[in-house]
Amino acid sequence: MGLERTQKPRSSQPWTLLLYVLLVLVCLPFVLPILWMFLSSLKSAQGIFGSPFSLNVDAGLKNFAQIFANYPFARQYLNSLLTLAISVPVTLLLAATAGYAFARMRFPGRDLAFVMTLAAMMVPAELVAIPQFIAFRNLGLANTLVPIMLLQIFSATGALSVFLMRQHFITLPRELEEAGRIDGLGTLGVFRYIMLPLSRPVLATVAIFAVLNSWNDYFNPLIYLNDEAKMTLPLALQRFTDPLGGTYWNLTLAASVLVALPVLLAFLMAQRTFIESLAASGTKG
Amino acid sequence: MASSLLARREAREGFLFALPYLLGMLIFVLLPLVAVLWMSLTGWSLLDAPTFKGFASYAKLARDLEFRGSLGVTAVFTVGIVALNLTVALLLASLLNVKLPGIAAFRSMVFSPVVMPIVAWSLIWKFLLQPQGPLNTGLQQLGFQDANLLLNPKTALGTLIVIEVLKAVGLNTVIFLSALQGVPPEQRQAARLDGASSWQVYRHVTLPMISPTLFLVFLVTVIGALKVFTPIWVLTGGGPAGATTTLIVAMFKQGFTFFEFGYASAIATVLFLAVLLLTLLQWRLRKALVFYEE
Repeated sequence: MGLERTQKPRSSQPWTLLLYVLLVLVCLPFVLPILWMFLSSLKSAQGIFGSPFSLNVDAGLKNFAQIFANYPFARQYLNSLLTLAISVPVTLLLAATAGYAFARMRFPGRDLAFVMTLAAMMVPAELVAIPQFIAFRNLGLANTLVPIMLLQIFSATGALSVFLMRQHFITLPRELEEAGRIDGLGTLGVFRYIMLPLSRPVLATVAIFAVLNSWNDYFNPLIYLNDEAKMTLPLALQRFTDPLGGTYWNLTLAASVLVALPVLLAFLMAQRTFIESLAASGTKG
Repeated sequence: MASSLLARREAREGFLFALPYLLGMLIFVLLPLVAVLWMSLTGWSLLDAPTFKGFASYAKLARDLEFRGSLGVTAVFTVGIVALNLTVALLLASLLNVKLPGIAAFRSMVFSPVVMPIVAWSLIWKFLLQPQGPLNTGLQQLGFQDANLLLNPKTALGTLIVIEVLKAVGLNTVIFLSALQGVPPEQRQAARLDGASSWQVYRHVTLPMISPTLFLVFLVTVIGALKVFTPIWVLTGGGPAGATTTLIVAMFKQGFTFFEFGYASAIATVLFLAVLLLTLLQWRLRKALVFYEE
């Protein structure tokens, strides 16, 4: 072992051990809150307050049963899933077609439109919330999922998706399209049967962004949704209160587990794709 | 002339391909943006009809103590987040860049809050930071008698900064990590052979090599910090005594609590100008950096 080129002689046992201790200490503030959320979701209200860090999980799965029995949580879960199921594929489709047009087709106003897309990437959603709200309310769409979905599709994340798709399509060789044309495909055919299948990794990246954007959206639901039965999950998390308005923390944390679990599981299963795609987008800006 | 026919067809098809997205962007982003600028010149509230009032809202802003306070809060919040996030991300990336068995697990741990839903993350901390919650009680036992991190105007903003950085720093860490891994090891070895210490290698070889990434991440983080809303709203609602009321919280309160649409639009416009300025700066600097990036 000792003579391998990559191994520096200096990294001896005590150093390595010290490094591991340091790494564990550094990671604690990141993982402890999450682990504590899981632990507390299995405790009674008294258990959480009395001994917040003890391992005595006295409630078992009772909190979870109560969430579904006493609150419209199943309905809210469905609302979130429905929003996701519509906004994510539409985002993918629009980003792919617009990205392709920006990358490969010349049409009047293309460059201006692309610059505007870049600008839309920078405009915080919160800034345009007021006119959006007035318009949707006048259309009678307040308190529905329609504005939530639309504003996710045409958010900064949507604009980023278009940008990522364009950057990807630019790199594909033009010969592929020409070959498709010779085989008799039209523009739509080339796009559908040649370009899209070659775009799976980028589409996966765009999908990760769109899913996180949709699943975690709090701002727009806060503005538009008043009925509990119409709410999506991030807003619903704050609704586990007693008649005096105090928080039922055991229920809140159990519900938080149910909201966080799908994304955390997806992350654990596809860590590499997750981290790489998010890192790549970060360096591109 | 066949080519012009083809060009016309391409123009038509290209336009059709981009149209659904462009139409949506026009309706849901760009028109509202113009509307905000216009609304900021009206005295529009939920009950009144919009009437043109010129710069009245801006004159009111200049006199509004809460707004002036929120400018300061936004500045402290933004500077605090950027300084802490970048420092911690760089330290973490350097630490996580070692070659050790199991290092990938540590990287994932630092990254995991990034995928946590922000409301769930905020609620965990809201419990931990309750007046009688575990963290404040712990601090009290350590001798900080009236420790109450979120309800004390002196500590609330700093506490929010720490919570937000813990949530988000994993992303910048990963970006720095990939930048660090892009630094060719030969360069560092060459410096070492010239007798440079570890710190000198880091300072004079590694840091300059990742400086373009550092710079982009810096500007993206600044713009990101300006629009942080959810954790503030969930954890403090802008309190205590306005200590955590940033521009975006002030805008939300005026717009969606008091329904003062015109006034809220004026605040949004101020924030928009700040973001615009930073974005233009970013483009300028990015162009200057192309030299490094090649």
